[in-house]
Amino acid sequence: MTTTARAYLTGFGRYLPGPPVDNDGMAARLGGDDAVTARIRGSILASNGIRQRHYALDEQGEPTELNEELAVKALNAALDDRGIQPSDLRMLATATTMGDVLVPGFANMVHGRLGGGPMQLLSASGVCASSMAALDAVVSKVRLGDHPRGAVVASELPSRSLRQRRYEGFRAGMDAHFLRWMLSDGAGAVVVEFQPHPTRLSLRVDWIRQVSLAHDHAVCMRAGMSGDETHVGGTWQDVALADAQAAGMFVLRQDVGMLDDLAEAGIAQFEELVDIGLVDVRHLDHVICHYSTNVFRDVAFDALRRRVPSLDTDRWFSNLETRGNTGSASIFIALEEAWRTGRFEPGETILLAVPESGRFSFAFAQLTVVAPTRPQGASS
Amino acid sequence: MTSATSTVPSTADGTDPAGASLLERLGEVWLELEDHLARVPVLQRLDDGTVTLEDYMRLLFNLRQQVIDGSLWIARAASNFDIDHFELRAAAIKHAEEEHRDHFLLEADYVALGGSREELRAGRKNVGSEALSGYLFTYASKPNPAGLLGAMFIIEGLGARRAAQWAARFQEVLGLADNQVHFMTYHQEADGAHTGDMEAILTSGLIDDATADEIVRCAQVVARLYALQLEELDR
Repeated sequence: MTTTARAYLTGFGRYLPGPPVDNDGMAARLGGDDAVTARIRGSILASNGIRQRHYALDEQGEPTELNEELAVKALNAALDDRGIQPSDLRMLATATTMGDVLVPGFANMVHGRLGGGPMQLLSASGVCASSMAALDAVVSKVRLGDHPRGAVVASELPSRSLRQRRYEGFRAGMDAHFLRWMLSDGAGAVVVEFQPHPTRLSLRVDWIRQVSLAHDHAVCMRAGMSGDETHVGGTWQDVALADAQAAGMFVLRQDVGMLDDLAEAGIAQFEELVDIGLVDVRHLDHVICHYSTNVFRDVAFDALRRRVPSLDTDRWFSNLETRGNTGSASIFIALEEAWRTGRFEPGETILLAVPESGRFSFAFAQLTVVAPTRPQGASS
Repeated sequence: MTSATSTVPSTADGTDPAGASLLERLGEVWLELEDHLARVPVLQRLDDGTVTLEDYMRLLFNLRQQVIDGSLWIARAASNFDIDHFELRAAAIKHAEEEHRDHFLLEADYVALGGSREELRAGRKNVGSEALSGYLFTYASKPNPAGLLGAMFIIEGLGARRAAQWAARFQEVLGLADNQVHFMTYHQEADGAHTGDMEAILTSGLIDDATADEIVRCAQVVARLYALQLEELDR
């Protein structure tokens, strides 16, 4: 019989670049202050509920930092929180929607900037749920006993590509505008170890589940292709770059008509976790769900309410309104804030939920808050 | 009995008055060892569930410095068996070959626990390990050191009978993965096979009475020094 170790989250960090930017400050940085765009922006902001966010852009909209720098700052914050050095890590898994460069992998760039010693790397790609894929990888290796300690960082810097210059020369519909006024920059990181923190609370990872329904759904969130289906010759790599730009292929798009299906599919996945017993609805102390807009918060909360009539909003944590939607980084940025503000007590459970619209992926994890286990009668 | 300075007991001292077999006499030595182990602090903590990750890492650290020597003294013993002891020489060569990579397993466990391979390799033997290695190398340098079968009986017996128990208990108390106790669990299988090979030799009729006495005496000394090595962690 194989015996595995357990995996605990023992350090938490985040980095949000620059000062908070309110809704009026968005257009100053991203542009798009014509009447039509302003009206679209207003309606999107009204429904998503985001009041402030952060950009790695100065007031003129010029970049101030690299995505890999955001990642390293969040990692260093998590390492400081745990009281260890980069050289203590044996594995690093990163998640981002788009790194700063096309090649090599984001994890390689982050490791190079972070320093430390030799370590295993994974660059998880995708969109929001890639952070959970990265977490799953490190947790699995720690449980196997292959590594005593690893870190996970999810980092996003979409603002560069949300500026007006990317939206000129073609007709941008709602699919191209939707994410522009949703997404912002930031990074979140956690440290994973096989033993709990010796002197304070840790979060034990009970399980992580991720599932893709791409077999049953078309592409929803995308960049680098024309239309909503891939075909030979129809990606940004197949055509002249100027043609790709003119066709609006570098704009991040969302088929907003599919989002109701996404919410429904996410709820069905949650129901399945309840059915198979992974989620015990009688013991759901904290729910941290990533969503892009408060509209989906209400849909998700109502669905949970049907299962857990006693669920009150106090157990539901989100910082979307103040930290913005940072894609893959959002779940760790929310977890870090919930952790830092002392929401958790030993024995409580935390459900993490990350629906990803890319092509319908869903990730869930359950954490349990554990007290330090410094045994009595320890050796001198 | 453990204070004797001679490494080869006289036949008069070593002969069991009740005429017990060699295996029975070694069984008595094993029971003495068990008594000693029960008084070793780190094993007591392991037993009562208060053992720490630091304890386990210290134990590996201390064992490693002696494990390195294991296949060396067996190989030296092999080189000192003359042609009349061909079977023992063959067994020792095979045994040394099988063991000479064991320290890599231990090192992998230590690193998997978050320890530094460099620090581990820079370690030195503790006072018990010094005494044990010194005794074994000296013994292995003698002509036809058949008494070392007693040392193997103790050391392989610990691997076969106790190491896997210790590993399971460390896993239970500290929540360790198999990959972090590989050295100890491996020895249950490997040393179980070695113990079987050795018992075949011990009961084969190849061992005369004088050699039997040497084997028992060597087992007594090694049992005491092995326990001493576990008592003297880091010193």
